[in-house]
Amino acid sequence: MTATALQQEAQRAKRRQQIGGWLFVAPVLLLNLIVVVIPSAIGLGMAFTDWSGVGSMNFIGLANFQRLFQDGVFFKALTHNLLWTAFFLIVPVALGLLGAYLLSGIKRGQMFFRVAYFIPYVIAAVVNTQLWRYLLNPRVGIGPALSQCCGIEFLNVPVFGSRDLALLGVAFVDMWHFWGFLLVLYLAAMSGVDIELYEVARLDGAGRWAQFRHVTLPSIRPTLVFTILMITIWSGLVFDYVFIITGGGPANASEVMGTLLYTTAFQRFEAGYAAAIGIFMALWVAIATGGFVLLRKLGWEV
Amino acid sequence: MKTRILSVMLILAIVLMAVPAVGAQGDETVIAWWTETGTVPTNIQELFIDPWNDAHPGYRLEITDQPDLSTILRTAIAAGEAPCILQTPGASYIAEFVKAGLVQPLDGYAEQWGWADRLLPWAYEVGFIGDTLYSVPLTYESMVLVYNKTVFEENGWTVPTNLEEFNALAEAAVAAGINPLAYGNVGWQPNNEHLVGIYLNNVAGPENVYAALIGEKPWTDPEFVEAMELLRTHIADNGWFSGSLENYFANGWNEFWAEVTSGDAAMMMIGTWAFYVTELFDQAGAEWDWAPLPIFNERAGEYNYELATGSTLSVNAACPDVDAAADVINYLLSDPVRALEMSATRQFGEYMVPLRYSEEDFPADTDERLIRFFSDFAEVTGEGRFGYTSWTF
Repeated sequence: MTATALQQEAQRAKRRQQIGGWLFVAPVLLLNLIVVVIPSAIGLGMAFTDWSGVGSMNFIGLANFQRLFQDGVFFKALTHNLLWTAFFLIVPVALGLLGAYLLSGIKRGQMFFRVAYFIPYVIAAVVNTQLWRYLLNPRVGIGPALSQCCGIEFLNVPVFGSRDLALLGVAFVDMWHFWGFLLVLYLAAMSGVDIELYEVARLDGAGRWAQFRHVTLPSIRPTLVFTILMITIWSGLVFDYVFIITGGGPANASEVMGTLLYTTAFQRFEAGYAAAIGIFMALWVAIATGGFVLLRKLGWEV
Repeated sequence: MKTRILSVMLILAIVLMAVPAVGAQGDETVIAWWTETGTVPTNIQELFIDPWNDAHPGYRLEITDQPDLSTILRTAIAAGEAPCILQTPGASYIAEFVKAGLVQPLDGYAEQWGWADRLLPWAYEVGFIGDTLYSVPLTYESMVLVYNKTVFEENGWTVPTNLEEFNALAEAAVAAGINPLAYGNVGWQPNNEHLVGIYLNNVAGPENVYAALIGEKPWTDPEFVEAMELLRTHIADNGWFSGSLENYFANGWNEFWAEVTSGDAAMMMIGTWAFYVTELFDQAGAEWDWAPLPIFNERAGEYNYELATGSTLSVNAACPDVDAAADVINYLLSDPVRALEMSATRQFGEYMVPLRYSEEDFPADTDERLIRFFSDFAEVTGEGRFGYTSWTF
């Protein structure tokens, strides 16, 4: 066999390998095309129509977006999504880091705590929400019970029925089920930190806080940034806990973009306008993901 | 070689997965009807489905209960996969489907089978959009005062019939540490509209409400403002509904039922669908009864009953056999005794088809309180004393 023939055979083998690779990827690409790309394109198109959800649709240009920018309820919902994001970037992340750091120092019984904190995360949202609706029930919940037995009044408030507390109440319930997940992630990341780094830090006179700040945090930065990204995305798409507990009420006090989209599309027969809200939710995700990509391009280890 | 074999197997698997399951229906034409979970009569199979199937060889009626029916139905109809019989929460819901040309007109069937003579006149008329009949009600309802009779007897209270008596009773209840009323909107926010409808009818009066509904009066007229202010006073200022406005917003179906059956609250302003869960009073060891809602202003006249339909039935224009689907609806409307036997399994709170019943049509063991309601409802509304709801049409 000549060198040219060998080269041609090698090229053919390479092409076969490439075709094989594409064939393996094809089902996933096809699936993505069917369930992501095509519906997204249709949704984008719908945002420029007056479609009710059934029947014909008429092109109305940017009318849905003009309405969106004048819609006080939408801006209220958007504000709630921003507040939700801030809450979730602070409270569960802080709790997860603190819990993981404390647990990382425990040798015995660590598994028990890991399981205990993780359990709420694997319980269905509908179960978690019902549990907390009863716990915070203004008639038979822990609030009136504490008030009657011990005169403790601060919990004796109808959390989900109050316009001031509803959003915070729902966020708390969602956070309660979620923070254990972060704890397990951070704990796994902390277990990979080189123990010698801590020893060196101790020799340099670093206390526990300094060790956490200068050794632990930089070492788990990829996990931390990843969770921050995911929390930001999920906070823009939040729906289930709000929908089940308050439905966005009372009087839109806990309305988020997800619940507004749902009621607009499925209760008010305004699928076109709902699609415009959906575009904003997609934009939210795109911005969060874009920030992540930018950090990588800037050389961050994320 | 291995790669090639794997690739072929993978493609084969995908092709096999994509092949639809055809031929499962055999030669039968399926007439599908999706209905709401939790409302279906427990004897519907033997009293309705089996007899209809036996009388229609070559067809199979399938009634399936669905949670969140209206959402699922809307998605299905948009996808062209809706059942033959469309059950929606009210005639106004079907209007969007009608606009899209998805609903079969029923005029011809109504004329053929004399539906106008079988249905209560108002219930028949609500199915018209313009001059065309598109739906018939599956169940009819009204708003009443359901109360914990045990609590009333223990405290020596009587049912209020006007605002003065209502206020006196509410104040007495509050003094006794009992919430005058229980209610809430968690899980179904349109519950707010139940109360709005009651106060509009019983303060402004049904005639004014009707005039406003057809555009002859603005909703900002003083009588409507007065109605809403009274509701605000009762629910927000006085906290007569479950203790406070916030409690009302935190209460769902389970919570407000627990409140009234346990005696923590005395009454509820609720629809007659409540009849099908009045057994909760028995479980709590309390007795219940109902009464017409009190009239809050003289201009509203004597007590009345709001007219409401709980669900409506229509025929999907894309059904493979629209005649058979219409025949199913006709079968439902053709026998008052059978209709009541089915509804009895839901305490006449669901599947109460608005037919022209007589007292003899009710099963012999029917609760006296329920017969009292339906008799009085027929008599009072027959005299033209009825109100309007914002949440049903």
